Amino acid sequence: MTREHVLITFGGMDAGTVAIVLAGLVLAATLLGVLHRATQGRARTVSDSRIVSIEGVSLGERATLLQFSTEVCAPCKSTARVLDDLAARTEDVAHVDLDVTRRPDLASRYRVLQTPTTLILDADGAVRARIGGAVRRDVVVAELEKVLAA
Amino acid sequence: MTASASTAKTATGIDPRGPRFVAGIVAIKFLVVIALALLGLDSPGFAIAALVLAIYNAAIFLWSAIAGVQRHPYGLIFRKLIRPRLKPPTEFEDPIPPTFAQGVGFFVTIVGIVLFIPFGSIALVVAGAAAFVAAFLNSVFAYCLGCQIYLVLARVGIVGRKGAATA
Repeated sequence: MTREHVLITFGGMDAGTVAIVLAGLVLAATLLGVLHRATQGRARTVSDSRIVSIEGVSLGERATLLQFSTEVCAPCKSTARVLDDLAARTEDVAHVDLDVTRRPDLASRYRVLQTPTTLILDADGAVRARIGGAVRRDVVVAELEKVLAA
Repeated sequence: MTASASTAKTATGIDPRGPRFVAGIVAIKFLVVIALALLGLDSPGFAIAALVLAIYNAAIFLWSAIAGVQRHPYGLIFRKLIRPRLKPPTEFEDPIPPTFAQGVGFFVTIVGIVLFIPFGSIALVVAGAAAFVAAFLNSVFAYCLGCQIYLVLARVGIVGRKGAATA
């Protein structure tokens, strides 16, 4: 069957074929969702010796949870609550929530492709880990411990 | 210690399950649009039916993008019929993100409607599939398409700076 032939029969679609197409679409969207979910909140270790400094923002003495957000981002709010709470419980750890809308240059500099994106900075302000998407508390705690232990 | 630009707005927050319920209805509506548009590939009657439903969807999107997601007609169904049967929400959500998502939905739908004029029913199949995937992922996986799109717009400088006034 040639490609053209397929397109022609596509034109005369019956109800059964439509049902199969819709089921395929639902299945494809489900796979996409499962794949996306698997990538969200995972921490990647980064060895970036460049020092992060943001005008008007003081970083934590021992570590900083640097979050990139926008105001139209619902998971940013839940991430901010988790990081805020962790920073409050851990001495000398700061949580900085940066609105990308106001500082698009920073989003470019740190190649932020989704919000929220969280960078974990060590005492010197160097990026040690990166988490894309809504954070999971246990993941942040584990990464933070690694940075604090160093 | 936190240096935050966003302000906590729990007082005006909405139940986050509301927009996901709405997205579920929207996903089903777009499956119907796609079905009608596929049947409409060689049947003008079905094509027109798909177009009418797409225009209806666009109108709902436009209304909730302008009036705010709190005034979404399907959101009312959630509040009147569904929410009283659920446990109270563990957290509240800012209405700005789902309202932005309604604008994204309107844009995708209107592109399909406009392209219907030169290309016919297939335009609604393609635009409908895009809208379905976004709404389905939002409803089932809490995926936030606006988080990606708004960021791209901010990075190329289309939105931003004046953002503080609309918050």
